[in-house]
Amino acid sequence: MRRREFIKLVTTSTTGAVLFTGCGIGNGDPAYKFKFESPVQNPLDVIYGRDNWYATTCQQCGAGCGLVVRVFEGRAKKVEGNPDFPVNAGATCARAQAAVQDVYLPDRVGSPLKLSGARGSGSYQATTWDAAAKEFASDLSSAGSGGTLIITEPPSGAMGMVWTQFAGKFGAKQVAFEPDERVVLREAMRRVFNSSALPAIDLAHTNFLVSFSADFLHGWISPVQLSMGFGQFRQGRSDIRGTYYHVGPQLNGTAASADRWLPIKPGTEGLVALAMAQYMTAQGLADKAKAGTIYGGISLDQYAPEQVAAATGLSAAQIQDLAKRFANGKPGVAIAGTTAAAHTNALFNLTAVFALNLLVGSVGVPGGLTLNPGSPFPSGATSLPTATSGLSYRDWAGVINDMKSGKYKLAIIHGVNPAYGLPASSGFADALAKVGKVVALSTVIDETSQLADLVLPVNHSLEDWGLEIPDPGPGFQTVALQQPVINTLAPENGNPGFDSHSAGDVLIAAAKDANQALPWNTYADAVQSTAGALQGLNRGNITATDAKTFMLQMQAQGGWWDTGNKAAASAAGAPTKPTPAAQPQFTGDPGAFPLYLLPYPTSALDYGDGARVAWMQGLPEPISTTVWNSWVELNPTTADHYGVSTGDLVTVKSANGVSRELAVYVNPAAAPDVALIPLGQGHTATPNRYSERRGVNALDLVDASKVDSETGALAYAATRVQIATTGKKVRLARFEGQVPAFQVPGAPIIEIIRPTQKQG
Amino acid sequence: MRLYLRAVVFGLVVLVLLAVPLVAILARSYFLAPTAQPAKAQPIAFPHTLHAGTLGIDCTFCHRDATTQAFAGLPALQQCMFCHKVIPVAGRAPLATLVNSFNTNTPVDWNRVHQLPEHVHFVHATHINAGIQCSTCHGDVATMQTVSQFRDLRMGDCISCHREYGARTDCSVCHY
Repeated sequence: MRRREFIKLVTTSTTGAVLFTGCGIGNGDPAYKFKFESPVQNPLDVIYGRDNWYATTCQQCGAGCGLVVRVFEGRAKKVEGNPDFPVNAGATCARAQAAVQDVYLPDRVGSPLKLSGARGSGSYQATTWDAAAKEFASDLSSAGSGGTLIITEPPSGAMGMVWTQFAGKFGAKQVAFEPDERVVLREAMRRVFNSSALPAIDLAHTNFLVSFSADFLHGWISPVQLSMGFGQFRQGRSDIRGTYYHVGPQLNGTAASADRWLPIKPGTEGLVALAMAQYMTAQGLADKAKAGTIYGGISLDQYAPEQVAAATGLSAAQIQDLAKRFANGKPGVAIAGTTAAAHTNALFNLTAVFALNLLVGSVGVPGGLTLNPGSPFPSGATSLPTATSGLSYRDWAGVINDMKSGKYKLAIIHGVNPAYGLPASSGFADALAKVGKVVALSTVIDETSQLADLVLPVNHSLEDWGLEIPDPGPGFQTVALQQPVINTLAPENGNPGFDSHSAGDVLIAAAKDANQALPWNTYADAVQSTAGALQGLNRGNITATDAKTFMLQMQAQGGWWDTGNKAAASAAGAPTKPTPAAQPQFTGDPGAFPLYLLPYPTSALDYGDGARVAWMQGLPEPISTTVWNSWVELNPTTADHYGVSTGDLVTVKSANGVSRELAVYVNPAAAPDVALIPLGQGHTATPNRYSERRGVNALDLVDASKVDSETGALAYAATRVQIATTGKKVRLARFEGQVPAFQVPGAPIIEIIRPTQKQG
Repeated sequence: MRLYLRAVVFGLVVLVLLAVPLVAILARSYFLAPTAQPAKAQPIAFPHTLHAGTLGIDCTFCHRDATTQAFAGLPALQQCMFCHKVIPVAGRAPLATLVNSFNTNTPVDWNRVHQLPEHVHFVHATHINAGIQCSTCHGDVATMQTVSQFRDLRMGDCISCHREYGARTDCSVCHY
């Protein structure tokens, strides 16, 4: 080192360190450090240095788990499961844990934003709540009856109740967005079990479980409830360890726990189920007459295992063995979902599989599917909507056409992101541009809210009230109460904050300003008065006799439930409407496009909701252990064919003409003719420091003209793709292989050996 | 010889540079000794002489966490208003500030009088429950028109008192 450099270093390091520390630089606002604040109001239960735990309900997905949140000096610090709450009994998933990061997201919208440039330009100017509320109310008045479009999640619970009332007052059209997979599932429940609510699965007493592509331990309907059941299923009994077979084109995180994986061709889940039903009736393992009623118009004889084996990619013997195990392993349960519901025959796949439960008598018995009872709330104008469904992709096309035709003067969007979740070719973004005015109620700027004229920052679920009926429930009447565990982070003392309002309050105030007052003064009012109706039932876990104590106890326990109130076992009748058998259709010539594209929701990002949170981006996908990115999974044989290995960049070209560059992850658990791409990445909205410009949106590669023939749901797994090498290589960030395996005496390192390789 | 001289000059420069932070630290502690600080004016001229002195209100009536928590606690304005909603404001300028802050929902930012470094944990409750009086560290607040720091309250002061009372003096008692 030269002398000059040495002197420079000394002056800038030691002296600098002391001087800068002395001046308090790098320590936030140096002046405020010497201040001590007297708040205006006595904090109710804040004791400095002591934590408080509040019970509330998780809204990170639709399952409605009960949480207890550790709050320390007014800040939410840690999420745990509510041990009293029957749906999740103290357990949580990673997404619930990340709620604390979601609420303190640095890119949360800090104040009402008014568009200051062209629509979609993303240039906004902060405005005040007074001005924004006035503008919203006047837009509502001027849109007139029929001129307003409301896009929300499927209306449920107290927020759904407020939305429904609000839409009624203004004659607005209310549509709901949710991943198409769930639209199919809901319709399958209606057709097979004649019930809109999802069933509870009594895995703790099940002997044989077969899942057709459903990722039930990670993302499917109620993963925490099902994971707890699965633990009981495997280890909860001293005499029986439940057996689990997984049928599907992908060995997903859930299937990795299976006793056996039966890899099938994509979209043939329903065919396998029919073949099982045929074999069971032919062998006398199930009642033939019953099968006739359950499968309606389908003649089972055409679906003998020998006849469908080739189409499904299994051998007849494998299907027969599965059918035998299912019929003999009573009580047995068959479920289907996730990518099984993403084909042109989606509804057939699901109904054929769920009907197997009826065939072997596994509905309404211990160890089988239990139908959930109806809502405990009295029906009427202020009843809580429950078990509602979103629009299918085909129905969205109708709404999009209406939007294009200029029918709507005002669109209000809350809590959903259709501009990301619908394929770009749907034209949703262009259609939204034709709507006179777009108001988004959102916590962040996402692909949809960045197309809005006015963005109203709303409270996060940890800051808001709510009332939910968990779907699927635990098998008896259950209501989850959501209460604010923290105050909103309003800006104060010149420090920036998030000046958000409760979405319910925004609606109630806007309706009042537009002279169409709703029956409540505040959203908290709406929740508490609705919840108060439960007291009149005189049953359930809360026995308080006066209204105030009742509410306090409900807040402390996290909800209301009545373990005695179950649905009658006979509630499940015969399927109401048969679903015709159908083969899956795919876009693309198998010669030119040799691989099936199979996009799948991951446990961390789901369909893209989790992408904005850093912890979720950093949570390894269970099989590939990849983080913070998108990738394409190929079978080793397929990878050998193209001469690629993990980390090689390839161009995935879809039959719809779109191509995307992705890194390869070679995965022996992907079927050889399948290209697996995770969903949830490829966000473009800014600012979103954790999700923007990261990976690709697999929906871009999907041919949006392929929909389920029955429900019209988007068949996002019905497109074929081809792969071209680029010669480039990237380092794929993943957990696997970062720490070399080392030899432990007596526990040999497991080697993965390809079927074609000889063991040396 | 010339080379030798250069090395000596270089060494001296290094020594001087190293001495700068040392001098800065010493100067800081000499000139900024806590007890040498002038009393800080507060946003509301709160008279401890009246409240603790004339009226004889117990310290813990306002600093109500002192017996149970690490922080003694600073009363919320709402608590001031328990009494002050019936005490006329006329002729009492500081009181007008208080009532105004309360009515306009504005928290009051007091200037801190006692500021321990962030790497020290001082727990009020432990000391009070061991029988130490508030005035042992804070002085006779009842006679202070504007409160200023009474004791040095730097580590030497803490340790000498700990020794006097036979309290633990290992590092982790305060630095944890």
